Amino acid sequence: MLYRQIMKELLCFVGLAVITAFTVNFFSPKGIALVGEWDTSKGVITARAKDDVVDHELEIDIIRAREIYLNGKSVFVDARTRELYEEGHIKNAVSLPLYEFDGLFEEFMNKYPDSLTIITYCTGRECEDSHQLAQYLSEMGYSDTKVYVDGYDEWKQGGYPVEE
Amino acid sequence: MTNGNREDTRLKNDNIMKLCNNQWFEMFVRWLLGIVFVYASYHKIAEPAQFAKIVYGYDLFPNFSINLIAIILPYLEFYSGMALIMGIFPRSAVFIIDGMLFAFIIALSVNLLRGHEFDCGCTSFGEPGYTSSTTQLLIRDIIMFILGLYVLFFDKPRMGSLTQLTTLVKRRATG
Repeated sequence: MLYRQIMKELLCFVGLAVITAFTVNFFSPKGIALVGEWDTSKGVITARAKDDVVDHELEIDIIRAREIYLNGKSVFVDARTRELYEEGHIKNAVSLPLYEFDGLFEEFMNKYPDSLTIITYCTGRECEDSHQLAQYLSEMGYSDTKVYVDGYDEWKQGGYPVEE
Repeated sequence: MTNGNREDTRLKNDNIMKLCNNQWFEMFVRWLLGIVFVYASYHKIAEPAQFAKIVYGYDLFPNFSINLIAIILPYLEFYSGMALIMGIFPRSAVFIIDGMLFAFIIALSVNLLRGHEFDCGCTSFGEPGYTSSTTQLLIRDIIMFILGLYVLFFDKPRMGSLTQLTTLVKRRATG
């Protein structure tokens, strides 16, 4: 009897939680898809939220990033924190930490014209800060913006130029 | 063991039993667990995408289930926590909470054993779960699990329990 009563109550809780969860998720502007993209081989991982910043079309891998880097007509922009940038970064990359964007953007804009190709990066395929930064820069007029998805660690391991 | 020592131990055990049978103490523990879980659900409900990423970070769940866990789990925490505070089906609510705590304990232990660094995401995001603090989290969860068992097996009338109050009113009306 007690067992059946507890089973009923558990069903009530689970049912209520499931119904509320899906309803709120459906209407919330921050709701996420029922299935996310968690396969790093396909690019930066994402829960595919309604306000998602990840755009796979902007993504380039390490090989393409290196080609653009050697071309010399682009600016690599580091979205990581200032501390991580100072520990090590892609050679000649500019630091524009995502969380300091508002304060540093004007200085960045004065130095780098919006005709340049901008390549943003952060720590790798589990980090979406590079996408967020690319979105901010696109909104500010930088039309040729790409996201290098493999991040600083992969670049360093590949033996490509870094500054430490 | 001398008679005096035995008497001391017996008195201590008596006091512990008295505390465990105290309805106010049971209500305090129930509220504590409830508040912790309602608080823990807040960030997860507000930022489901971030929470999904934390679930991914545990590296224990198949990809198709990550978003579903991130959508449903916070509400299960919220409702169970609220039910404990208000005393609605407290036994079932604490059963769910202990079930979740047991799952967290297993997840934390597995990641501790394999040295996998991750963000716990227990009560807020950006709480780094490096191996040293994973141990602290594990201890915290084990303590809460034991408190949950206490609430689960408490067999005296519960203070401030809405469902119990309803049952009493019904009994009085029919009897």
